[in-house]
Amino acid sequence: MKELGLYLGCVIPTEQYGYEMSIREVLPKFDIELVDLEESTCCGAPLRNVNMFTTMYLSARNMALCEKKGIDLYAPCPICHLGLTEAKESLEENPELKDKINSKLEEEDLQYEGSTELYHTLDLLHDEIGLDEIEDQVEEPLDDLTFAAHYGCNTIRPNDLDRPDDSENPQKLEELMETIGIGTEDYPEKLDCCGGQVISDHNESALTKAGEKIEAVQDQGFDGLSTICPWGHRMLDSKQDSAADTIGESLDLPVMYYIQLLGVAMGIEQSRLGLELNLSPVDNLEAIESIEEAE
Amino acid sequence: MSLIDLTSMAEPDEEEQEKIEETLEGLKEDIPDLCYQCGKCTSGCEAFILLELEPHSIMGKSKAGFIDELVNSDEIWTCMQCFKCQERCPQDLSPVRVIFALKNLAVAAGKEIPSGYQKMLQSVLGNGLIQQPKEVLNRANETRKREDLDLPPVPEPEDMDKVQQILMKATQEKLR
Repeated sequence: MKELGLYLGCVIPTEQYGYEMSIREVLPKFDIELVDLEESTCCGAPLRNVNMFTTMYLSARNMALCEKKGIDLYAPCPICHLGLTEAKESLEENPELKDKINSKLEEEDLQYEGSTELYHTLDLLHDEIGLDEIEDQVEEPLDDLTFAAHYGCNTIRPNDLDRPDDSENPQKLEELMETIGIGTEDYPEKLDCCGGQVISDHNESALTKAGEKIEAVQDQGFDGLSTICPWGHRMLDSKQDSAADTIGESLDLPVMYYIQLLGVAMGIEQSRLGLELNLSPVDNLEAIESIEEAE
Repeated sequence: MSLIDLTSMAEPDEEEQEKIEETLEGLKEDIPDLCYQCGKCTSGCEAFILLELEPHSIMGKSKAGFIDELVNSDEIWTCMQCFKCQERCPQDLSPVRVIFALKNLAVAAGKEIPSGYQKMLQSVLGNGLIQQPKEVLNRANETRKREDLDLPPVPEPEDMDKVQQILMKATQEKLR
């Protein structure tokens, strides 16, 4: 049994409940014990725009919470994962900054050493748990489906920091999909951004980015799109209707978190995976129960 | 000091020059002596077509010392933070990090920053997260809260006041 601190960040525990539900449901079946970090806060990454020191302090604080419990940290959000990785590497290179941050952490009886390993959903499933172990737990392979992969910018870039997959040719999500029976292939828009990080001040541009990506995937005949980023999922699934209105096209592409797809393939009760909260038409897929069936 | 002031100055304003040098010194690691304006960053920039962000021009202007001009501009706030510019720079430079540094300078100088970021900052200072837990809809248009879904309470520091105080002080600090 591997214990991991479940560091949810901001967007997952305040609105992307389907991601959290499927994480809590699926990962324990792979012998992972998720430990809640009750005292955690924002990872600080969104504040890079405002004040870099605050970003480092918040990241170090969240990692220090894990160090106190003596466990590694699992951040399902790529933006958090990148922020934490950047802080970890910067503090390793800069002992003076580390001391300065530790003097602030002391006020809460916390200390940051830098001993915590960081995981994201992608490397946790693909590299730690492994494809064989996943294949063993598949009960109902999703053989009839062809899905496109959406990695999220911060999952793969920048490559001067340790990222879960290759920056220009990531394939782990495709391999994970194939392991549960789903067909997939590369498409030209695969690395395109969803616009999520400018939604608060450039709403229309952000929705246009999302809409164009959804339209491209839909036009190429995929049955759906698989995500591993809560910001991307929020744009491509939760806001799919607004994106359609913004670009003036009709969009009806099922979008699911990979871990939801995995849960379905493992035969987990679908209501436990938060599938009712996907606002794209996921029940167009035969494998997915309609809302009425789920109730 | 603006672009126009700089180009129309008959006599060099040493005090201003010093200020620029100082600012540049702070940005030294990121600033782009080595940028040869190939424009690869801009060709892949996710915000170029819709929001007219041109990372190569930001690099060019920083190199020429027009920091104030950039700090006061709206364009630095259009970056989608996709990191493609850094990834694809043949000189291993990082326009996105220059843009972060410029935004930090804008905040430190008390410039008006876009309301979305302002709100985010206030929320983190207030309760530790960029937003409060929301009631969401399901596909049948019914509302769902965390507790309806058997999810535990959202994490929050036990002593939020203390964290708030530390954060307030932290925002006054500069990284370099």
